[in-house]
Amino acid sequence: MGLLAWLKRPQAPPPDEGRDLFDDEFQRKLDYLAVVSRRVFAGRTRAERRTKKSGSGVEFVDYRDYTAGDDLRYLDWNLYQRHDRLLIRLFEEEEDLAIYIVVDASSSMGFGAGQKLRQAKRLAAALGYVGLSNLDRVSVAAARGDALEVIPPARGKQRIFPVFEFLRGLKPEGTTDLGAAMKSLVARSQKRRGLAVLLSDLFDPAGFERGINALRFGRFEVVALHLVDPDDAKPALYGDVRLYDCETGDERDVTVTPKLLERYQKAYDDYRLEIEHFCASKQVPYFVADASAPFDEIVLRVFRRGGFLR
Amino acid sequence: MRLTGLPLSQLLAVGLAAALATVALYLLKLRRRAVAVPFAKLWERVVKERESTTLFSRLKRLLSLLLQLALLALLVFALGDPRLGESVVEGRNVVALVDASASMQATDEAPSRLESARARVREMVRGLSGADRLLIAQMDAAVTPLSTLSGDQAELEGALARLGASDARADFPRALRFASDTLRGLPKAEIVVVSDGSLGEAHDALGEVHLGDAKLSFVKVGRRGKNAAVTQFSVRRYPLDKGRYEVMLEVTNTDEAPAEVELSLYGDGQLVDVTRLRLGAGERLPRFYPNLSGASRTLEARIRYADGSADDLPADDRAYALLPERRRVKVQCVTRGNTYLEAALLLDEYLEVTTVEPARYPAPGRFDVTVFDGAAPRAAEGSGALLYLGPAGEGSPVKLGAEITDLGFDEYDRKHPLWRWVVPDPIGIGRSRVLEPAEGDRVLASSVDERTGRKRAIVVAGRREGRRFIATGFDPRESDMVLRIAWPLFLLNAINDFVDEDARYLSSYRTGEVWHLPAPSGAERMTLVDPEGREHQLAVEDGRALYLGQRAGFYKLRAAAAGEGAGGETMFAANLADARESAIGPAENVNVDGRPAGALEGFRAGVRREVWVYLLAAAVALTALEWFTYHRRITV
Repeated sequence: MGLLAWLKRPQAPPPDEGRDLFDDEFQRKLDYLAVVSRRVFAGRTRAERRTKKSGSGVEFVDYRDYTAGDDLRYLDWNLYQRHDRLLIRLFEEEEDLAIYIVVDASSSMGFGAGQKLRQAKRLAAALGYVGLSNLDRVSVAAARGDALEVIPPARGKQRIFPVFEFLRGLKPEGTTDLGAAMKSLVARSQKRRGLAVLLSDLFDPAGFERGINALRFGRFEVVALHLVDPDDAKPALYGDVRLYDCETGDERDVTVTPKLLERYQKAYDDYRLEIEHFCASKQVPYFVADASAPFDEIVLRVFRRGGFLR
Repeated sequence: MRLTGLPLSQLLAVGLAAALATVALYLLKLRRRAVAVPFAKLWERVVKERESTTLFSRLKRLLSLLLQLALLALLVFALGDPRLGESVVEGRNVVALVDASASMQATDEAPSRLESARARVREMVRGLSGADRLLIAQMDAAVTPLSTLSGDQAELEGALARLGASDARADFPRALRFASDTLRGLPKAEIVVVSDGSLGEAHDALGEVHLGDAKLSFVKVGRRGKNAAVTQFSVRRYPLDKGRYEVMLEVTNTDEAPAEVELSLYGDGQLVDVTRLRLGAGERLPRFYPNLSGASRTLEARIRYADGSADDLPADDRAYALLPERRRVKVQCVTRGNTYLEAALLLDEYLEVTTVEPARYPAPGRFDVTVFDGAAPRAAEGSGALLYLGPAGEGSPVKLGAEITDLGFDEYDRKHPLWRWVVPDPIGIGRSRVLEPAEGDRVLASSVDERTGRKRAIVVAGRREGRRFIATGFDPRESDMVLRIAWPLFLLNAINDFVDEDARYLSSYRTGEVWHLPAPSGAERMTLVDPEGREHQLAVEDGRALYLGQRAGFYKLRAAAAGEGAGGETMFAANLADARESAIGPAENVNVDGRPAGALEGFRAGVRREVWVYLLAAAVALTALEWFTYHRRITV
């Protein structure tokens, strides 16, 4: 190929460029995932999930001391005769699960060809669809800086389309402050705790722990989906360059050499391991979601690991 | 070590300036390319570790700077063109005179002597030492320098490629003078003659050639001298029978052994005559072929050995000649009746004569020549050249003086073509008028007054209003000229002279000489087409164009500007016709200025001792090293 021909070669468009993110093929895969999820959890329980909240259910959970005003119907008179204590019987209240799917929409998620945000949107849509299919209450949120944009919780498969619309409209912008954003989510959802799925590259200058901890401390069950792009690990850099952070604009003069690139790659891997260890120590399910991998495989991996549905 | 390029002071200045510029460029902070990253914190972790090695980085940058300065130093030093001491001392200035004369076309050394000479000079070029300089000149009828005095092999090889043989003899004295002038004042001057030695003596009209301090070397080319040649060839038509012609040629055997050759004569490409000749060693045999017919334009003589073998020089086995073109000349005869005149004009069948009485002059039509017999009316348009026989009237081109009686042709212009084959001395004239020529006229014949010794013009030639004329002061019938053979010859000579002026006919020329080619009147430029088909533009001066012809064969000549005869095409032939050049036996040596040439020596250097080449190679190597270390990020 001559130089001129090489320069004039047609540029390959980025994958999925120009295609609807949630086209018919995507939706067919969602139906498939919904069916598969049922098969995975068949024989355990129904899709509905009970909360730990004790209430008026039929399944006995525990006792507590009687206080004035308690319903006398739940007093255990047998125990009173035996131990001379007034104890109230507690039952597990049956309630549909609240699932909060939080998508990090900061600038770093759109870095390069924007593959991470694209993948995050698809995963959010897939998980949301499966949740809606299981009659859970699904809420989707986008985190940008310390702000949180949320669509109200909904139930039933037909509610997936507002989710699609919401996700379609997400543009990568702003900084990452997962700590503040997750505190905001906790504050909004005080009455209804549940499962929080965090989809992010976890490039938080204040530390990735803050976001996860905020959810944990808010008594949410957290699932971390770490979006990674291979180009982030192996940047195509060479020579004397001035690096600047795509979110904060912080600059740094660096002379990039093969050795420095090796060190950077090691630092990147260390960072991932750090996240993984943290999640393991805190019993937070952690998944690495490669931006270039098929989304349905990642979803199935989440299902198989368990924790998302019971 | 010596610097033969820029002097040391300049080198230091250039080097200092370049070094300062290089250091300044290194000190300038490079504007870095801005690149976005998704998470700068990760880079900070890496760079913090690396900052501890800053000192080492600076050292590496310093190493890179030193590398650049070393590169610069090499290049600046190369500008000085440094030479090793012994190389400078040995530097020679050489002029190679390569013989390109006809004898160098001999094939006794395959493929030819010229190619052998080319190979020898190429060996010389490749054997030049770094300080040697050589000029290559082609030596034939002229001296043509093909290169400058240079040590550049590419230039010298290119000059050798332009070397080509001619069909002329070499002008050895001129070539030696050129070489001597070129080398005057230069140290270690040397002239190398590459030739078969067929060069003649080294002196000319200017005298003996002196070479001064220049050394003379001779490179012999050629092995033997087996050759037979046509060394003379000419042809002419008979004046009174232009349908017939005679040929004179000469065949020479330059070999040291007798030879039997077959001579063939071709007219217009057709065989006219074949003769077998036996020639002794070195014999020159002239042959005369009278009364030939059968050809109208071209003649060619070819020889070959009777046994069918070929000689070593084919270039002189052929000779060419061109017969004067025959055409009808239109003559207007203004006469009241003149039997002698009309009878004489009848002798040439190529004359188309129209007779008209003076009162009816001019006759309709255009004529080449008008003969006024005893009349001189004002010349009309279309009359051509004018011949006045005893002019009387207002149109006489010359004033008529006193009448004289009993006279003869006491003096006449023997070189004028009017008197070709004519002996006018015994002719007696009864009565004539003295002609008074105007300025620029040429007196062709005069009678001397016995008493006073004064010359009295009786035949005058000249030009009036662009027309040529010849006038006689007498009526030929009043002399005994009309009773002599001189009368028709005089008349036909006058007509031929007039007609020849339009340059329709050119005789054959000899190669190696400057040809004076007659041009048609009015022509300012002419185009000459040589036997190989190449066109040459020639300027016309004084009715002639000059050309140094070096190719044998038929040439075509075309006038390039409007004028009488312009637009027509004429031909002429050129031959080597040089017995000395045909004697191709190689000489063992040449003698110049009383001393023999020496053998060629000292062209075996093999390796050019030019230091700058190595400096440049070192600079290139350093550049490659710098490139490698940069891309490997060793020096950044």
